[in-house]
Amino acid sequence: MATPALVVENLRKSFGALEVLKGVSLVADRGDVIALIGASGSGKSTFLRCINLLEMPDSGTIRVAGEAVRVERFGAARLPAADRRQIDRIRTHLGMVFQSFNLWSHMTVLENVIEAPVHVLKRPKSDAVALAMLLLEKVGIADKARHYPAHLSGGQQQRAAIARALAMEPDVLLFDEPTSALDPELVNEVFQVMRGLAAERRTMIVVTHEMGFAREIATEVVFLHRGVVEERGPPAEVFGDPKSARCRQFLSAMP
Amino acid sequence: MMDLHGYGWMLWEGAVMTLVVAVLAMTLGCVLGLVGAVAKLSVRSGLRRAADLYTTVVRGVPELVLILLVYYGVPTVAQDLAETWGEPVVFDLDPFIAGVLTLGFIYGAFATEVFRGAFLSVPRGQIEAASSLGMRPGLAFRKILFPQMLRYALPGLGNVWLVLLKATALVSVIQLEDLMRKAQIAAGATREPFTFYFSASLLFLGLTVVSLYAIRRGERWAERGLR
Ligand SMILES: Nc1ncnc2c1ncn2[C@@H]1O[C@H](COP(=O)(O)OP(=O)(O)OP(=O)(O)O)[C@@H](O)[C@H]1O
Ligand SMILES: [Mg+2]
Repeated sequence: MATPALVVENLRKSFGALEVLKGVSLVADRGDVIALIGASGSGKSTFLRCINLLEMPDSGTIRVAGEAVRVERFGAARLPAADRRQIDRIRTHLGMVFQSFNLWSHMTVLENVIEAPVHVLKRPKSDAVALAMLLLEKVGIADKARHYPAHLSGGQQQRAAIARALAMEPDVLLFDEPTSALDPELVNEVFQVMRGLAAERRTMIVVTHEMGFAREIATEVVFLHRGVVEERGPPAEVFGDPKSARCRQFLSAMP
Repeated sequence: MMDLHGYGWMLWEGAVMTLVVAVLAMTLGCVLGLVGAVAKLSVRSGLRRAADLYTTVVRGVPELVLILLVYYGVPTVAQDLAETWGEPVVFDLDPFIAGVLTLGFIYGAFATEVFRGAFLSVPRGQIEAASSLGMRPGLAFRKILFPQMLRYALPGLGNVWLVLLKATALVSVIQLEDLMRKAQIAAGATREPFTFYFSASLLFLGLTVVSLYAIRRGERWAERGLR
C-alpha cells in the first residue's frame, strides 16, 4: 500500500489553560478530499495550523509524505537548526489557503506566485514564471498576472492565492474557510477551481461552513466538536444519517 | 538678484553643508532606528531594555545639550582616560563628525519609534503566508516584512527628516560651517541681521519644499499596489 499523503495521530494543542485539540487523528491518502466541519471555536483552524506548524502542537504525530515531524521537540525554547529546517521542508509539501487570502500586497499576482518557487525551491525564474502562468490560466486569472492584489475582486484574489499554493507543487492542500470572506456571488468561482483540483485527485483538507459543497466534493467528512472528532465517514453517511447527536444537532442548525 | 554684499556664495556653501550633514545624520539615524526597532520588538528582554533606555535618554535630554556634551565632553573624558593610562594625548573631535554622529544618534531614537510602529502595522497574515510557503525568517523579513514595513514607515520618516533638517541649525554652536553659522557670520560682518537671517530662512524653506516633494514621490512609490 502506498504511503498516505498525510497522517495525523492524537494531536493535542492548548492555549494556556484552554485545551483546543484533545487528541485529533486523521489520515489522508493521495487523492482524498477531507471536509472538516464543526461549530465556531471547535478547533478547525487550530488543527490546520498545527498541521503546517504555524501553531506548534503540544503532542501527537504528524507525517507528511512519509516524513515524521519531530513534534516532541517543539517544547524547547530554541529549536535546533535541523528541526527548523525540517519545519520549512514540511511546509513546502503543504499548501495553505487562508480565509483572508493573505496575498502579499506589495507584489503583483505573478510575483506572489513565483516568489517561493524562486527563493525557497531555487527554481530558475523563467521556469517559475512559465509554471505560474500555467497555474493562473488554470484558475482563470492569467489576464490579472501583472495586477496588484488590491485591484482584484475577492474571488480573484482567492484564486491567485490558490495558484500561489499550487506553485510549490505541494502534496497536500489545506484550505481554511476559503470562501468565508467572499461575497456570495463570488463563492462559486472559487469552488469551481477547487472542484477542478479534486478532479485532478489532489489531496485536500478543507475547512468549510458550506455543507452543500462539503457533501459534493469530500471523500470523507470529519465533524469536530470542542477539539474532539465526534463523527467521521463518507459524506452520504455523515450528512444523511449522522450517528452522533451533536453532529445531527449541528447539521440541523445549518441553513 | 542680490549678491548680498558678496556673502551670497557663502550662504550657499552653508546650505550645501547643512544638506550634507542632514543626509548623513538621517542615514545613520535610519540604521540606528532599524536596529532600535528590531531590538524593541525582540523576544530578548535585555535588547528591549537597552532600546528603551536609548529612546528615553534621547527624548529626555535637549538636543543642544547632547551636541555640546559630545563635542566638548567626549574629548575631555577621552583625554582624562588616556592620561590615567600614562599617555597624554590631544584628542579633538571634528565638528562635522561630532555633528553628524550626535544628530544621527538623536534622530535614530525617533526613527526607532517610527520603524517600531511600522513593523507592528504589517498584518500577521502576510508573514504567515510566507511561513506557510517554507520561507525562512530571514528571507521573509527581506522579501515581505521589510518592504511592507517601509510603506507604513515612510510618512513618519518624512517627518523625522523635516525636523532633522531644521535641527542642523543647532550644530552651528560647535563651529560647524552650516547655513546657520554662515548667516551669523555674514550678519555680524555686515550688521544686516535681517537680510542674512531672512535669506537663511528662505534657503531652509527651499530645502523643506524640495523635501516635501521628494517625500510625496516616495510615498506614492511605497503605496504601489494599494490603490
Ligand atoms: N493564538 C491563540 N491564542 C489563544 N487562543 C486561541 C488562539 N487561536 C485560537 N484560540 C482559541 O482556540 C479555540 C479554537 O479556535 P479555532 O480558530 O481553531 O476555531 P475554529 O473551529 O476555526 O472556529 P471558526 O469556525 O470560528 O473559524 C477558540 O476558542 C479560540 O478562541
Ligand atoms: Mg477557523
